[in-house]
Amino acid sequence: MNTQIDSSFTPDALVVGGGIAGLQSALDLADQGLKVLVVERQASIGGHMIALSKVFPTLDCASCITTPKMSAAAHHENITILTSTEVEAIESAGGVHHVKLLQKPTYVNFDKCIGCRLCEYACDTEYPDPFEEGLGAVKAIAVPFTNAIPQKAVLNAEHCSTCGTCARVCPTDAIEFDQQPRRLTIATDAVIVASGFKLNSITVKPQYNAQRSQDIISPLTLERLLAPHGPYGRVLRPSDGKIPGSIAFVQCAGSRDESIGVPYCSRVCCMYSIKQAMLLSGALPLADITIYYMDIRAFGKGYEQFFQNAKAMGINFVRGKVARIDPLDGGDLSLHVENTEEAENPIAERRHDLVVLAQGMIPGWNPAAATPVACAADGFVATTSLTAPTATVAPGIFVAGTAAGPKDIVDTIAEAGAAAMQASQYLFQKRAEALVG
Amino acid sequence: MAMKTLTAEQKKALATLRERLGGISEEKRQAQRHLVAARKSIQKFLQAQQATVPQLAQALGMPADEALWHVTGMRKYGKVTEVGEEDDYPLYALVEIDDKPAAGH
Repeated sequence: MNTQIDSSFTPDALVVGGGIAGLQSALDLADQGLKVLVVERQASIGGHMIALSKVFPTLDCASCITTPKMSAAAHHENITILTSTEVEAIESAGGVHHVKLLQKPTYVNFDKCIGCRLCEYACDTEYPDPFEEGLGAVKAIAVPFTNAIPQKAVLNAEHCSTCGTCARVCPTDAIEFDQQPRRLTIATDAVIVASGFKLNSITVKPQYNAQRSQDIISPLTLERLLAPHGPYGRVLRPSDGKIPGSIAFVQCAGSRDESIGVPYCSRVCCMYSIKQAMLLSGALPLADITIYYMDIRAFGKGYEQFFQNAKAMGINFVRGKVARIDPLDGGDLSLHVENTEEAENPIAERRHDLVVLAQGMIPGWNPAAATPVACAADGFVATTSLTAPTATVAPGIFVAGTAAGPKDIVDTIAEAGAAAMQASQYLFQKRAEALVG
Repeated sequence: MAMKTLTAEQKKALATLRERLGGISEEKRQAQRHLVAARKSIQKFLQAQQATVPQLAQALGMPADEALWHVTGMRKYGKVTEVGEEDDYPLYALVEIDDKPAAGH
């Protein structure tokens, strides 16, 4: 995997983001013989998908799908990947996009590092592991996670005690404490923005009191709890390590709500909550699992059947909006809910020992601030027309995946392929025009 | 694990990094001391008996979430293992590491 480039490198296309959308776009372009540079701000490619446990509606292992794509991209002769690198700006002139990059120091020479992790085992400083949503611990120098690509150690200077032990144990002298941030500008003819999403804050609705209880968790935290190689190796309550016996999912907890500035439907929450409930029911066969929902949006292929399967498995679906969550002494959580299917006593108080808030997807990056790309009112990248769903207002810059709006993995991969096709068509047309003169 | 001596260049680079980070703050030092002390106390307690997270927390006077975080870190790096369940909580034990060289070596 080529990680050392300078400004003389001129790829045909640059992909912003190394998640599933970016990797699919890069692979589809590279397979057509085009040179692609993938820029990823994290220390590993894989995006959110590599952290998921399984995917709906097939319940396939998420990393079994993502890892081959990551590996294929990393080993592709036409793909170069820069990790720990951010796009600072894109300046477009004369049909060429000048992409300004900031490569952050990893303090490890990737050409020398063999991924043996001796530095990680020798390091005596640990901090809450961001890959495990803070639940696990990770050393100040570590390979980001088990199936990270590149399998190279990265030193987190913020947590490093500068004791030098990593350099003392490194068999290949790969530790470079004097690495500096590096700025470079890459000229390219096409850009695909695949910068993904983030979830809005778990504390965005104060009436849910997530700031008062560690047992009110985000769906991404539950993904890690459900993952076979997750922080605890099983599902436990983060506040005290208890095996939860009663789990609630609160739908639309961060979307379809004008009061928090997210009026749109996040499109994936119903399905991932149903999936998580089914996985929980397998992991904790004795647990009561309840999904509190306004309406279930199971619109994709096989989704309705998936929903029906969940009901048949004994997942309890309650149609009603949760108004408030109160943490109680002893760790339980009290949910105040209106059950719209209960005619006589619709207002109820239900108790659970773990609550998952279905947070909404919001944009992962705002390109409008430093690039010619425009964003729509919802903050996601604006596209030009219904007939060109991956074209942005800037010629030669395309968008794929959740950078353009909330969507599931299937739609993300389909859109990434479409963006690659539109980009290659643009590139080949540009080359043909240049030949004609 | 074989420990090498840092070269003069590495020492200089390390000093430069330390300086760039604004030195090692007292807060960072305290956090490190706290981490080492907590791990030692958990290790010592688990040497004598297996324990759940609430049992560890109560015995060592630390919040349960913190005890869980430490146990999670120790489990990840092979120092603690889960050995069963007690009252809806997993039971943890110290991993016994055999430091003696195997016969024939």
